[in-house]
Amino acid sequence: MHIVDGALAPEVLIGGGGLAVAGLGLGLRKLPIDKIPATGVLSATFFVASLIHVPVGPSSVHLIMSGLAGLVLGWTAFPALFVGLLLQAIFFGFGGLTVLGVNTVNIAFPAVLAGLLFRGMVARVPPVPAAVLGGVAGAFSIALTTLFVAIALGLSGDAFIPAAKLVFFAHIPIMIVEGLVSAASVYLIAKVKPALLQPADPVEDFQMQAAVLRANQAEQTPNG
Amino acid sequence: MVRLFALLLTMVALLQGTGSAEAHKVIASVFPSGPSIEGEVGFSNGVMAGNTLVEVLAPDGTKIDEITTDEDGFFVYTPSGDVDLRFRADLGAGHVAEAAFAINDLSNVAQANATSASSAKVAVVATTENAVPAITRAQEEIIASIVRDELRPLRREITAYKEKNDLQSILGGIGYIFGAFGIVYYLAARRLRAKAPEA
Repeated sequence: MHIVDGALAPEVLIGGGGLAVAGLGLGLRKLPIDKIPATGVLSATFFVASLIHVPVGPSSVHLIMSGLAGLVLGWTAFPALFVGLLLQAIFFGFGGLTVLGVNTVNIAFPAVLAGLLFRGMVARVPPVPAAVLGGVAGAFSIALTTLFVAIALGLSGDAFIPAAKLVFFAHIPIMIVEGLVSAASVYLIAKVKPALLQPADPVEDFQMQAAVLRANQAEQTPNG
Repeated sequence: MVRLFALLLTMVALLQGTGSAEAHKVIASVFPSGPSIEGEVGFSNGVMAGNTLVEVLAPDGTKIDEITTDEDGFFVYTPSGDVDLRFRADLGAGHVAEAAFAINDLSNVAQANATSASSAKVAVVATTENAVPAITRAQEEIIASIVRDELRPLRREITAYKEKNDLQSILGGIGYIFGAFGIVYYLAARRLRAKAPEA
C-alpha cells in the first residue's frame, strides 16, 4: 500500500507531488470550518489504523480506513490523509518522504472518488443499507488504490499487468476486512450522528454568509 | 447488484485463500561476520523473504554483484573490493529494502582479529615455558563461529525491536495531528471573525 523510497522513477515522484499539491489545495479550499474537527479525527484514525493488524489466514493485514475518510470528508480527505501519511512516514517509516506525494494521491484520490460516488446515497438511506454502501465504498477505495499503485509502478518500469494483478490480489483480504470495518463505522455514524454523512448543506452555507453580510451592513449604516 | 458484488468479492477471496505479507514494511539488515557480510531480508511481521534476489551496489549505484537469499531470507556475501556497499532487494509491488554497509566495519573486525590473534600468539609464545594451553587458530575460528551463532537471534531481536512502534510514538503522532488541526481551526476561526465583526 505504501510505496517506499527508491521504488519509483523521479518523473513519477514529481508528477505525484504535483497532483498531491493540487488535491491538497482543492481539499483545503473546500474545508468548511465546522468540518475541521472531523477532519482531524479521521486523520488520526487513518494514522492509527495502519497499526491495527487483522489476522487473515497465516498472515495479517492492516487497516487503511481511507474509504471512511472519503465518505465523511469528500475532497477534504486529501489534507486529512496527507497529514496521516506524513506522520506515518516520520514516526513509523511507512513509505517515505520522497514518495509522500505519490502515496497521498494513491490513497486519497480513491477515497475522494468513493466519497463522491457513495456519499449521496449513504446520506439518504436508513442505517443498514447505508452500512452496506459504506462497506462497498471502503472496499472500492482500496481496489482503486491498488490500481493506482500498479500504475505508479508501471510508469516506473515494472510491467503493468503483472504488477496490477499482484498488488490487487495481495490486497483482497484488506478489501474485505476494510469493507466490514467501514460498514460498522458507517452504521454507527448513521445511528448516532447522521449529520456527519450529509454533504455540505448549501442552505446552511447561505444562512451563514447572510449573517456575515448583515453584520457588515449593520456596521456600515451609521456611517452612511 | 451491490450485494452481488460484495458476495463475489468474498468468494474470490475465499478461493484465493492466502493471506499475504504485502501490506508490511520490508526490512533488510546486514552485519559483519568474519571476512564476510551476513544479511537478512524480510517483512516487518516476521515473514522472511526466501529466494529473493539481492543486488550489491557500489556507493555510486553501479551494480557489483548479486546474491540470492536462502529459504529464511538469509544471505552471506564476501566483498572483494574495498568500497562501501549497499544491498538492495526488490520484493515487487513497490516493496524495496535497502541496507548500507560501511566496509570499515569489516576490515576493522578482520584486522582486530588478525592483531589479537598475532598478539595472542606472541603472548602464547612468551608463556609456553609455563605450559599454558595455547589456543590455535582453528580453535579461535570455531569460537568465533559459535559466538556468531549465539548472537544471531539477538541481532534478529534487535532488528525487530527497532521496527516496533511503541505507544509513545503512536500517542505522539495523534497529538501532532490534533495540534495541527487545532491550529488550522484557529486560523479559520480568526478569518471568519475578521469577516464578521462583532455586532
